Amino acid sequence: MTDSTAARPAPPAGPPAVAADAPAVLQPRPDLVICEQCDAVHQRISLQPGQTAHCRRCRALLGRGHRVSLPGLLALAIAGMLCFVIGNLTPLVSISVRGAPDPVTLPEALWQTWEAGQPLGAMLAGATAVVFPFLVIALRLYLLWPMSRRRLPPGFMPAMRLLRFATRWSMVEVFMLGALVAVVRAAGLASVVPGPALFAYGVLTLLLTSSSAAGLHRLWQLGSEWQAEQAQQAEQAEQDREAPTR
Amino acid sequence: MNARCARLYNCSACGLVSQRIDAGVSDDHDDIECPRCGNALHLRIPDSLQRTWACLAAALLLYAPANLLPILITSNVFGRDSHTILGGIGDLWDAGSWGLALIVFVASIAVPILKIVTLSFLAFTAQRCSCARGLPRTHLYRLVEAVGHWSMLDVFVVVLLVGMVNFGAFGIVEPGPGLLAFGAVVVLTMLASASFDPRLLWPDEVDDNPSPAHG
Repeated sequence: MTDSTAARPAPPAGPPAVAADAPAVLQPRPDLVICEQCDAVHQRISLQPGQTAHCRRCRALLGRGHRVSLPGLLALAIAGMLCFVIGNLTPLVSISVRGAPDPVTLPEALWQTWEAGQPLGAMLAGATAVVFPFLVIALRLYLLWPMSRRRLPPGFMPAMRLLRFATRWSMVEVFMLGALVAVVRAAGLASVVPGPALFAYGVLTLLLTSSSAAGLHRLWQLGSEWQAEQAQQAEQAEQDREAPTR
Repeated sequence: MNARCARLYNCSACGLVSQRIDAGVSDDHDDIECPRCGNALHLRIPDSLQRTWACLAAALLLYAPANLLPILITSNVFGRDSHTILGGIGDLWDAGSWGLALIVFVASIAVPILKIVTLSFLAFTAQRCSCARGLPRTHLYRLVEAVGHWSMLDVFVVVLLVGMVNFGAFGIVEPGPGLLAFGAVVVLTMLASASFDPRLLWPDEVDDNPSPAHG
């Protein structure tokens, strides 16, 4: 475990009274963190790389200091995409009962399950082992490629929201263990040789775990800062254009 | 200090905290959006307990067919053989892979039923508004969230075995109807724990820690 620092509890300012039945007025409070699990309010503190912050009340993880820079995260995403492609195009295992070995890829296995009368089961496995992992890697590439050069990709907000959803339903690490169990069970019936895709998915598990360890907070933070900057620059440019005409 | 009492909203998508500064009454069905990312903001997950109970009931209903129906059907020249989840674990055990047999048992049999029982307990106590012992119950919730997706293990095992073992007369593996029921149990228990709001396990009073514990 890394050393942990508990965030300080915050004394929030009371809401000033405004006329009733007015539409909701919200004031962003980027100086605060709310624990998602017990609703305790904390003051946000900046964390050193490797530091973690935990809730004072329920010990939930509130945040983690970043170890990897944005270009580093981009490199992890590129490597992840490479592993994903290898993992889906090359055989997971080569299996032979007698005679020529029969290589099996992951899409083939899913297709066989679909054909054998379990399309929903195949879709469930395909979604959690192929589609959502692909979305996670592709979205990280899409976001990090421009952001590592201080630019915002179009559709930043929906991409970030989709990334959060896809991360929850991507189960590469479970698939890895499942592949291990399947190889052991099939080894009782025939001779099984692990293929490159098995190793590619193994590396992919490590890459996805290390790149999503620190969470998305930094990307949200930078994204909203740059969006505000862009808006300000656009306003400035607008004013500059209007000025000479007067 | 509770965020709900200070009218502080935590965006569940981007994590930005916003304070409501008008005088309107806040409830969980407010139609307000995060100023940063536009996601709907709620003080608590709307209808959290109803949704949790619905998913749990459906999962419990499907738990029986998931374990009783065959998840794998093997056939070769000597005939057909149906395997339930428990049967697959027995095969692993007989083959000498006790470690893997134990892992599959925990992931496929123990975790789903423990999730259903634990979430039922949490939802029941949250419904009775008993706010004592928030910490151990939050630990339980975190455990359920952490192990939840590992139950998908057997779905992957079946799909891969079906893809791998396909030798015509020497042997074919086909998926059984139990696969669908089992997959549904896993997804439903994951949805149940996602719709449960652990903040319901904590007291709501403004000053819940008046002692100078914070120093």
